[in-house]
Parts: sequence; C-alpha cells; structure tokens
Amino acid sequence: MLDESKPLFIAVAEQIEDGILDGTYPEGTPVPSTNELAAFLRINPATAGKGLNRLADAGVLVKRRGVGMFVTVGATGLLRRRRRDDFARTYIVPLLREAAQLGIDPDELTEMITKEASR
Amino acid sequence: MTAIETRNLTKQFRDVVAIDDASLSFAENRVHGLLGRNGAGKTTLMKLLTGQIFASSGEMRVLGQNPVENPQVLARTCFIQESQKYPDGFRPLDVLRIAESLYPAWDQDLARELIADFRLPEKRVIKKLSRGQLSAVGIILGLASRAPLTFFDEPYLGLDAVVRRLFFDRLLADFTDHPRTVILSTHHIDEVANLLEHVVLLDEGRVAISEEAETLQNAAIEVSGRRDEVMAFAAGADVLHVQEIGSLATATLHAEPGGAERARAAGLQVAPVSLQNYIVHRTTAAATAAAR
Amino acid sequence: MRSRNVIDMHLVNRMQAFGWPLLAVTFALAIILAAGAIVGSQGPEARAEMYEGLQWNGAIFALFGPLIGYGFTSMGQYFPLALGLGLTRREFATGLSVVFLGNAVVYSALITLGKTIEKATEGFGLGIRFFDVFYTSTGAPWQTLVQTFLLILTVLFLGAAITAAFLRFGQAFLWISGAVLALIGVGILSGVLFLDGFGRGLLDLLTMGWGPWMVVIAVIGALSAAIWLVLVRRTQVS
Repeated sequence: MLDESKPLFIAVAEQIEDGILDGTYPEGTPVPSTNELAAFLRINPATAGKGLNRLADAGVLVKRRGVGMFVTVGATGLLRRRRRDDFARTYIVPLLREAAQLGIDPDELTEMITKEASR
Repeated sequence: MTAIETRNLTKQFRDVVAIDDASLSFAENRVHGLLGRNGAGKTTLMKLLTGQIFASSGEMRVLGQNPVENPQVLARTCFIQESQKYPDGFRPLDVLRIAESLYPAWDQDLARELIADFRLPEKRVIKKLSRGQLSAVGIILGLASRAPLTFFDEPYLGLDAVVRRLFFDRLLADFTDHPRTVILSTHHIDEVANLLEHVVLLDEGRVAISEEAETLQNAAIEVSGRRDEVMAFAAGADVLHVQEIGSLATATLHAEPGGAERARAAGLQVAPVSLQNYIVHRTTAAATAAAR
Repeated sequence: MRSRNVIDMHLVNRMQAFGWPLLAVTFALAIILAAGAIVGSQGPEARAEMYEGLQWNGAIFALFGPLIGYGFTSMGQYFPLALGLGLTRREFATGLSVVFLGNAVVYSALITLGKTIEKATEGFGLGIRFFDVFYTSTGAPWQTLVQTFLLILTVLFLGAAITAAFLRFGQAFLWISGAVLALIGVGILSGVLFLDGFGRGLLDLLTMGWGPWMVVIAVIGALSAAIWLVLVRRTQVS
C-alpha cells in the first residue's frame, strides 16, 4: 500500500498528495487525522504525524486548532507544479534509459507514446 | 523524558555474560523494538529492568528510579514474559482479576473486549490452554494494564497471522489513545517494523544498534546487476552482504548520501532493504567478523 | 495494600488451600473410626488398650502433609507469578507470612475443636484418638492450640525455606543438606553406641517438658522463617 523504497513518513505524505490530486480530498476539506491514518496504514502515529506535518510545512495542508488538518485552497496547483518538476527525473530519465537498452531511439519512442495516448 | 536509562549494565551468569556493558536509553511514550537472535540477551535485559534478576554491575533507572524491589516503579511497569509460569489450577480469569487490583491504570472494559476478540476461554485452566491462547493471556494483561511502561517479550508465540494482526491493531489503537512506553521483543520484525520508532539490537549481550527505526529503514540499499559492475561499485562501499548467481550479483551496502543515484547511474538496480533484512545482515556480519 | 494480592493468589485454588487438607483429614479420620469400630467390638479390654496405643498414631499427619506441600508450592509456583505481576519480594514475603499465619490459625483451631469434641464424646463413641494424640499434645486444649499452631507454622516456613534454598542454590543444596543430615544421624548413632552417658543424656533431652519442646519448635520455625526471608529477598526468577 505504501511505497517501501522511501522513508515511511514521506510515503505517507505522498499518499495524501495522491489523494489530493485525484480528488479524494478536495481543497478546503479535512484529511484523515494522525490517529486515523496510523490505524488505517498500520503505522506508528508519530510517523503518520510526521507525514502530515511535512505537508503542512509545504503549505499543502493547513492546521486548524482543535479540528484537524485541511487541504489548502490552491494545494492542487501547488502539487501539480512540484510534480511536473519531478516528472522528468522520476519517469522520463528511466524511460529513456530502458528505451536505449532496447534500441528504441527517441523519435521512435515519441511515436510509440503518441500511438499509446490515442488509444 | 527517558523511561529507561542504563549505564554499563552487566549481567553475568556462572559462565556467560548475558548482558555486557549495556548503556542504553529508551525515550518515554514511544514504541521501541528490542531485537536480536535467540540468546542475545533480550529477555535477560527485560528481567534486569523489572527487577526479576539482579545486575552484576552497572546502573539502571526505570521511570526515574532503581526498579529493584521498588513498588513505585513496578506498579507502573508490566512485563509480559514469554515463559511466565502460572500456578496449578489458575484460569485466565484468576490472573486477570489479580492483575486488575495490582495495576492502578487497569481497564477492565478493555480486558473484556480483548477476551472476546481473542476468543480466550477464560474459565479453562491455564495449563490446558494452547500456546497461542497462553500468549493471548499475556497480551490481554499487557494491554489492559495500561502500565506507563510495558514490556512484551515474544508476545507472538503460537499465534496465527490473523491473531497477530489483531494484536498489532489493538496495540496500535490503544497506544494511540493512551500513549505509553512499549518495549517489544520479537522475531517477526517485518510485521512490527512500521510500528517501531526506535530499535535496539542486541548481539551476544552487547548493544549492536540503538537507533531511530526510520534511520535504519534507510540505512542500507541493495544494488544488483552484472557481477563485475556490482563488484566495482561495491569496492569502495561498506558491504554488508553479497550474493552471486552466475554472472549476476546482489550486494547490500550501507547507504551513503547519493549512493542510490550513483548506483543507478552506473546501470545498477537499486532496492530498499527492509528492517528485518538489515537486522539479519547486521547480526550475521557481526558473527562472521567475530569468527574471524 | 499490594501484599493482599498474595493472599488472593493463595485463595484462587480452593482445593489446594482447603480442599485437599480437609479431604485428607476426613479420610484419615474415617479409617481410624473404622478401626475403632472393629477393635471396639472385641470388648472393653481391647478398647482400652487401643485408646492407650492410639495416642502415638500419626493419622493427623494426613493434615500436616498437604501443609508441608503448601510451603513448597508457594515458593515454587506463586512466587514467580507474584514477581511477574510486579510485586516486590518484600511484598510477597509479607503476604505469604500472613497466608501462613492464617493457615496455622485455621488448622490449629480446627484440631483443637476436633480434640474437644473427641474428648467430650469419648472418642466419637468408639474410644478412638485422632486429634488427642502425642503430636498435637495430650494435655489441655489450650496446649493443643499452641502446639499445633507452632507446629503448622514451623512446617510451612520450613517448606518455604527449603524451596527458597533450592531455588537459590539448586541441586547442590539438596546434596549438601542431605549429607549434613546424614552426618548428624551418624554422629548421634555413634554417640549412643560409643559414648557413655550420651544415650541417657539424649533420652533426658527428648523427654524434657512440654514447655521446652514448644520453645524448640518455635526456634526451628523462627530460624526457618529468618532463613526464608533472607533468601527470598535474593531469589532471582530464571
């Protein structure tokens, strides 16, 4: 359920980010509490809290005292921008490397992508 | 605040040093893993900390005081021993009733819930319970005691995966609502890895690791690929373990900043190393080093 | 009072606390009654002879026997549980001393009551002696009360002390104490055989009055209790 190649709290944060991006947690609505998250993901509450705080520090979530954490208005745009920056490094670089190994040149690759996208 | 602090703690039995010069610190209100192979000294350490046995030398502070013969400390400490013996004729009911009046924070409703959850036949004589049911008695006692400091020594023995999961969930839920210091000793490291905040690894009585679980989970990487490439990459690194299959090899290395990126750049595959595997590598590496 | 839990522990297994001793004593009494009925049917002379002889009968040990075991069980089984549940050794010792005292009070009162009834009914109408015997004192009821109280308490502490010593020193303790007892036995025997006046002196010693004997029992009990208390504070549960 969680990406095991990363520190646990980062995986927690990314899962919440995914939820924000796919509309599970719309802007302005609450996200699960530390305890709910801990129980659901079967992780230590401290780790879950660390993941949420990371998002709060990044301005994706906002703390409302006594109520919990809410998705910041504008969080989706923020996340999209950040993920776009990472996109090349996390997806395109490995894609090109794998393609090179198989003898697929960039032009052919572009063609394949266009074809796949139009399906 | 620290729940437990030991300095140069040593326990020598007639011909073995079971705990060798252990200086440790366990922070309050966290879940600590006490790991190590059989005979590494985990149970001995817990027995020392609960005053069941006496130290040969060194010092310890448990909840701020010396635990030996100290009711103030022991009333707030619950030690669930894997090898706890119960008198003839005792039923789970009897043990829980006595525990109820011994632990000030005891939660009888929780105890009742857990008895139902674990389907414990509370009126059956303990001597006739299965290993798993016996473990359940300890788990119920340990959770319902709500003791500020709770030790679980191999709470999993004889439990199937479903009941282990149940214990894990109940522990997590209760820990969340009632934070306390939990020391968990178990062989099922992977199952509890996400629950642990701090890990102590004992190896032949000595403290091999005392570290944040998060640090340990990222302490090593596994690189694999063509044997010569893996070997070339591993040459300058701190190698924990190498496995070769024909012209392929997999090496477990201590992670260094940027190590994963360099490995990928060198055309190697990089995978994380689970806490369980890291612990196994660290214990066997220490064993081979000692044998040399 | 956390020590109270030690008493509670000992009351969990009612068969062990009361059942077995009472069953054993009832069974032994039944046998003596049956014997009395058979002998009594052979005429008053046989009956009088039996009454005389029965003062040495040890059927009452059917009660003391399980009580000796009680001291063993307490140290062997209840002590590890008490420690496991976070009681201190001092708390356990306090609680167990109360348990022992309670046992001694209950059973000495029971025996004294039995003796009073036995004497009043002339051996339950059969001319037998079960409670009114040498070991429980053939004197006045208060003497029986004191004697059985001291005897039971001593037996309990002795059992606990032996078990504590065994837990502390292991097998070696059994061998050494066995050897010491054998040496004492051989010493007394050779004294009787080879030393003039030793046997007479010993006999005088053994036939000393009731009072001094009570002192001896009390001293043995106190010594056992002291040894037990010293050992239990140092006992580790492996």
